[in-house]
Amino acid sequence: MSLNGATPPHVALADVSKRYGASTILERINLRVDPGALVTLLGPSGCGKTTLLRLIAGLAIPDEGRVSIAGRDVTRTPPHRRNVGVVFQNYALFPHLSVRGNVGFGLSVRRLPRETIASKVARALDLVQLGHLIDRPVAALSGGQQQRVALARALAVEPDVLLFDEALSALDRNMRESMQVELRRLLKDIGTTAVFVTHDQDEALTMSDKIAVMSGGRIEQYADPISIYARPETLFTMRFVGLSTELRGAVTGRSDGQVRVETPVGALTAQGAQSLGSSVVVATRPEHIRIAAPDAAPGDAGLNCVEGRIRQISFHGSRTRVAVEVASCADFAVEIGGVGDLPAVGAAVRLEWPPEQSFAYRDGSPGP
Amino acid sequence: MTDAPASILPSAVSGATASHWLRNHKAGIALALPAALVLIVLFIVPLAQLLSQSFKSDAGFSLHAYDRLLGDAYGRSLVWNSLRLGLVTTGITLAIGYPAAFGLALSKGALRSVFLASLFLPLAASVIAKAFAWTILLRSHGVINDVLIGLHLTDRPVRMIFTQTALIIGAANVFLPFMILPIYAVVAQIDARLTEAAATLGAPPVVAFLRVIVPLSLPGVIAGVALVFSLSVSAYVVPNLLMGENYPTLASTIAKAFLLARDPALGAAAGAVLMAIGLVVVVASSALARQSGSRRA
Repeated sequence: MSLNGATPPHVALADVSKRYGASTILERINLRVDPGALVTLLGPSGCGKTTLLRLIAGLAIPDEGRVSIAGRDVTRTPPHRRNVGVVFQNYALFPHLSVRGNVGFGLSVRRLPRETIASKVARALDLVQLGHLIDRPVAALSGGQQQRVALARALAVEPDVLLFDEALSALDRNMRESMQVELRRLLKDIGTTAVFVTHDQDEALTMSDKIAVMSGGRIEQYADPISIYARPETLFTMRFVGLSTELRGAVTGRSDGQVRVETPVGALTAQGAQSLGSSVVVATRPEHIRIAAPDAAPGDAGLNCVEGRIRQISFHGSRTRVAVEVASCADFAVEIGGVGDLPAVGAAVRLEWPPEQSFAYRDGSPGP
Repeated sequence: MTDAPASILPSAVSGATASHWLRNHKAGIALALPAALVLIVLFIVPLAQLLSQSFKSDAGFSLHAYDRLLGDAYGRSLVWNSLRLGLVTTGITLAIGYPAAFGLALSKGALRSVFLASLFLPLAASVIAKAFAWTILLRSHGVINDVLIGLHLTDRPVRMIFTQTALIIGAANVFLPFMILPIYAVVAQIDARLTEAAATLGAPPVVAFLRVIVPLSLPGVIAGVALVFSLSVSAYVVPNLLMGENYPTLASTIAKAFLLARDPALGAAAGAVLMAIGLVVVVASSALARQSGSRRA
């Protein structure tokens, strides 16, 4: 497959479409997951991410296109012959079996010798640090422990790819955050390929090598977490991952990769290549905007610059969010690290940010 | 099957813990009281009378009635006939009802309503009406024979009524809902993702069914078996209408002893034996249910 010596993808979906009745769930999806990569399908509910995961698992069959895992075309292969491991949203542990029975299930249906099963079960439980609970009934475990049993059960069969369907969403916040870090380290240690489904952007940014942002049955952008956050290619990605301030306007000038946009708060420069006169939305992340006193010496002449009044300050511990009303028609979201040295609510301020941190998107969608 | 009676004893030793126990269980006692009264008046008292009657003779306490009932081949055939009716009916309703319960659990919308109605509505019809309906269908000049003769499939009426086949068909029909409903209630609660989890772990559909779904459906099966067996082992109307005198059972012996032969001791002894059989099944099935439940607790 590889013409240029690049690694062939471990999981590949080619032109995959899926419809239920009249509604299209997935529309010509192309996705390549490198061996050992952790990829997250991120999107709001109904975007098709779970269906996509089920197509990889074999729990659903695509209407068009091909699915391959580890170089094998599995488009029509039933799930029990795919060698995948799935961690389900509410774990789907077998309630009538012990921890041992659950983790050993996949090995025992493969008819492995008893001793092999015992040692593989022990190793899988060691990986998730639950060896001491091997004889417990699963109903006697806490949510976090059940989650680990579900993971050990999927790991025990040494799957070609591990699939996680909102697998961390049932855990409480602290548990979820520590599990994200631990799970990433564990999967990297084993070197397994994994695909996660989540609607939680923090989880996606923390855990993934690559994120596929999905919307309406399509992949909006497929890139590493930093690119997704710092250079969102579509307004949807900009809105779904992280916060931003959006301003509508018309393009009045353009030069090498940047556009000049006339907005209600004045003319702004942003990254973009839209044609003159077209309507665009200019979006800017809150942490790139700097708050300055209105009478302070202006920074670099190339900076975008607006004046406004502080409307609200909310403290979030490691960072502080400031809402700034500009020209009584726009509310800017600004974020600064720590407490900062802030004027009081009501004070007049000047906002400055570099054009490289603003992005212009074609205004095809309803406003924010 | 609660542990309540066991906990009354030790707490009665000290007044403080007894009043404590009462306070903690006030609501439970109040709620159970009407049912307990009904049980005591309508079940425990007559049962005690029945048992004492079965041990009574002119010379005081004796096992004479049990000897007359079980002492000869005829008496033992009564027990065997009752047992066989119970076992075969339970087996057949299980074989038909188990898949039906899954069909019911998998059905949706209007279809499920139709299924459920077809299970519940027959329960509203009297057993006598249903058994009698079968005699109309099965008798020598009944509906089925008329059709068979009309189609020239046979020139003489096929003998169906008063055969064991008729008995089994009738009993299975009458008791089937009592097998389907408890199994359905359990199966409908099984998480569909368990089958998917089993499939992704490498289990082909049959293996997933045998190793996940069947074990999880056992509590329903046990309940259904206990219900159908205890109902059919003591059935009176169905064997009586479909088999008549050809299939004497413990139940029919009770009726005859009390109503015709004026031999209450014999009737009471037959009743006691029937009760003992029922008791064994109920105790065994609840023990099984607890065992299959405790593995999950």
